[in-house]
Amino acid sequence: MAKGPKPLWPGLVGTLSSMVGLGVAGYLTYEHYTGSSSLACSTRGIVNCLEVTTSTYSKVAGVPVAVLGLIFFVVMFILQLPAMWNRPGSAIRRVRMTWAVIGLGTVVYLLYTELFKIDAICLWCTAVHVLTFVVFVSTVLATVSTFPLDDDLDMAHLEEAT
Amino acid sequence: MPKNQPNQRSNPKKGGAPQPAPNRSPAGRKYAQRQATKQQAALAARRARNRQVGIASVVLVLVIVVTLVVIKVAGGGGSSNGSVSSPAAGTPIPTSITTKLTSIPLSTLVAAPTTGISTSPQAIKDPRLTASGKPDLLYIGAEFCPICATERWAMYVALSKFGTFSPQPGRIHSAVRDGDIATLTFYKTTYTSPYFTFTPVETTTNQPDGNFYVTLQTPTAAQQKLWNAHSANSIPWVDFGGRAELTSAQYDPAQLEGVSFNNIASDIGNNSTAVGADVDASAKVLIQTICSTLSTNKPAAVCSAVGNG
Repeated sequence: MAKGPKPLWPGLVGTLSSMVGLGVAGYLTYEHYTGSSSLACSTRGIVNCLEVTTSTYSKVAGVPVAVLGLIFFVVMFILQLPAMWNRPGSAIRRVRMTWAVIGLGTVVYLLYTELFKIDAICLWCTAVHVLTFVVFVSTVLATVSTFPLDDDLDMAHLEEAT
Repeated sequence: MPKNQPNQRSNPKKGGAPQPAPNRSPAGRKYAQRQATKQQAALAARRARNRQVGIASVVLVLVIVVTLVVIKVAGGGGSSNGSVSSPAAGTPIPTSITTKLTSIPLSTLVAAPTTGISTSPQAIKDPRLTASGKPDLLYIGAEFCPICATERWAMYVALSKFGTFSPQPGRIHSAVRDGDIATLTFYKTTYTSPYFTFTPVETTTNQPDGNFYVTLQTPTAAQQKLWNAHSANSIPWVDFGGRAELTSAQYDPAQLEGVSFNNIASDIGNNSTAVGADVDASAKVLIQTICSTLSTNKPAAVCSAVGNG
């Protein structure tokens, strides 16, 4: 049987996006713990990072959203490494997919709060949201186009044969 | 594949070495080929189905995001402060917000940085301004006025330390063409304090009427005379019992432009935000002025906490 596709691009796109996301989330975390005094963003009108990063929605259960973003991208960076994509078995793929869905779900929630609760948009946060979306898309497309894995099928084949 | 034949392929999961291909009869080989073809077809079908599900999920996410943005742009949950004009008495403010604003700790007000404060009440020497036998705090402003909108936040916080509003102020905004600043109005409110009276006069609504705005309240002749003498009928004008006056907002109205009502309310009491620091510091100055001009330093707990400035 021909081996299924194991494309290189998911690892590259995911790793690169996660690395950039890590940087932006790190910057937002730094700003959060330094009073957002040097946040490079408009403070007037609908685009108002300070409004968002200092709002009551900037924490979830006491944990700054910026820190949650940082944790998300640290884990996602590891999961997206090409070596992780090349690992056999579907467990790592399920974990990565679940993590990407959690990230995107959080993004949708945060977008909702920005638009309808805080009434302001943070450009840095939007950058994080876009990167999360890119990682989600690449993860979904790469995962579904190679799933089920040949490895899984081989196992089934072996079990059937024995 | 017959069950008693060993697998001819390697399995990475098992880490096994490739098995030598067994000798098979032509019928057995055909059977294995058919099985392999079926499996390939099944695998391709599952991948195709998964790909469709994946693409659908991405599209679904895009639809959700676009829907949220469209609802926002269409005004379904606006950051703008609503329609062109608001009811003269405003819309009700949730109790959670009024409770919060009326209970900002004095220590927070005292600790507020004053870097954003650009003007303060100035001493005047008028005959004592009174109403109902008590010193009177006269406020003349207008609902369209962005500077009035700015100062009202601090006034509400400060006045709450000396008495109570009933009914509470309503939520309004300055004229859309004049800053559209979210604020509250003193129109149709009643303020009760054991120390002094508060007389608010909101001269217009925020509803445009030609080049100006719809008239709402008219000062009495005596109020008009004082107002004209001190500030040439400019607003806001606040007379602290004839002992001090305030002729503008104490901080920059631009701080509040584009900020929603809820967020201004949320920031107040939080000195790490620019809005919170400015409102808190302004409220502290107002409390100090009221203590020294209207309430004879009562209540002591309030006036001693904020000091003399």
